[in-house]
Amino acid sequence: MSQLGNDPVPLEGIKMWWILLLPSLLFAETVSTDEKVVGVFYFTPMFGHVHQSSVKTSASLTTIQCSHPVKVIESSKVSAGPEWAYVQVADYRGFVLKRFLAEKRPECFQGKYPKFFDAFNMDLSELYYWGRLNDQYVQGETRVN
Amino acid sequence: MLTKKNFFCLCLGLFAFSAIAQTEKLQEEKELEVVNFKSIKKVLQQDGLSQAAKNKEKQVQVLKKEQTQVEKSRYNYPTESELWGFVSEYWLVKNAQLLNWDFEKPDYGLEENFKKIMQQLGFYQKKFKILMLNTPTTVRAALPGNEEMIFILSVPFVRSLDLSKLEISLLLLEDYFRLEAGYFKKNVATEKMTKLAGTNFYGSKPDLSMVEELLKNYTNQVNQKGYTFQQQFEITKKMDAFLKSNPELWNTYFRLLGKIDRFIKVNVQYKDYVRLYPSPEMQVKWLSPEEKVL
Repeated sequence: MSQLGNDPVPLEGIKMWWILLLPSLLFAETVSTDEKVVGVFYFTPMFGHVHQSSVKTSASLTTIQCSHPVKVIESSKVSAGPEWAYVQVADYRGFVLKRFLAEKRPECFQGKYPKFFDAFNMDLSELYYWGRLNDQYVQGETRVN
Repeated sequence: MLTKKNFFCLCLGLFAFSAIAQTEKLQEEKELEVVNFKSIKKVLQQDGLSQAAKNKEKQVQVLKKEQTQVEKSRYNYPTESELWGFVSEYWLVKNAQLLNWDFEKPDYGLEENFKKIMQQLGFYQKKFKILMLNTPTTVRAALPGNEEMIFILSVPFVRSLDLSKLEISLLLLEDYFRLEAGYFKKNVATEKMTKLAGTNFYGSKPDLSMVEELLKNYTNQVNQKGYTFQQQFEITKKMDAFLKSNPELWNTYFRLLGKIDRFIKVNVQYKDYVRLYPSPEMQVKWLSPEEKVL
């Protein structure tokens, strides 16, 4: 005990630890406040992908289906671009086109006709392509000027 | 021999089973059990509780009926409009490798340009989807969607002809008229589809052969059957009527048909185009003013 209490070297060591620890704690604080959950939105197309980057042809992190809840995140560290939303789905963080997200739970084909839809027993490749299809479309609607 | 431990487990199981069985009952059914005492009928009648029990019974019946209807509705076939949309996209998914649409494509600015032309001609509240294909095998088509239209168009075809945004939009407009005229649906629809759409298959399996037949018809229509001369004549005349008020659009359309005609005559890769869309040469003739014999 006396050895520890009288020895000035460990005390300085503790001070040094604080000096090193303090900035990292402050940094951790900025990281946690840097992100904001904008809200939970719902995916509207029949199938789609959470993309690795905000490019239509970028790799798919996971495939999601209509009505799946998607947590939209705002982060100063991630630039999603005007068309894309930075999202979290389960453990995956990636990008989804904003036009695919709705605030209210949408009425989905597979939800409206579950027994008919289930009967097709679609394989993974079909689900993957259906998701890609929605990304690849150029979509529009004519309106009265 | 029933040991104490086994007996305890059995009791526990019975207790759990009865608890589950109880939870399956509707709240209204439970309430009905509470108020349904025959022994004190007179008192109940005086208090109006007998009437309350009857009302509760009716309520339970209504709720049970609704529950059955909800369960039955899960076995519905989609309506015709929803079925068209589903089958069109399913066909695109099933033929993803052949049609080769999953690729990085240039931005032709088609959304804005096509929208502009449609609006210029007075077609409002029309939803559309355009899918560019990286194959010369399937050149173009318009598929019916659910309250929208799906256009498919070959990028190699567009590049070979060096088509402008305006020219592409005019091709899409032609396809829009074909779709609106109902030619595609007429050529592809089956009796089974018309019969089953919007009906219910509760208690049996859905008849998926209906969709399989449609998928085959889609492939046949897009790659082999195409449109008749009569249908092409009607569409060309419709284009003529709508574009006449805008000479710039009309002239572009007229030149485009000539361009396609010359191109497909020398390019073997697109020899089937004439069979599917007969024929650009005739379309030019139908649009040309009649020569007066002096």
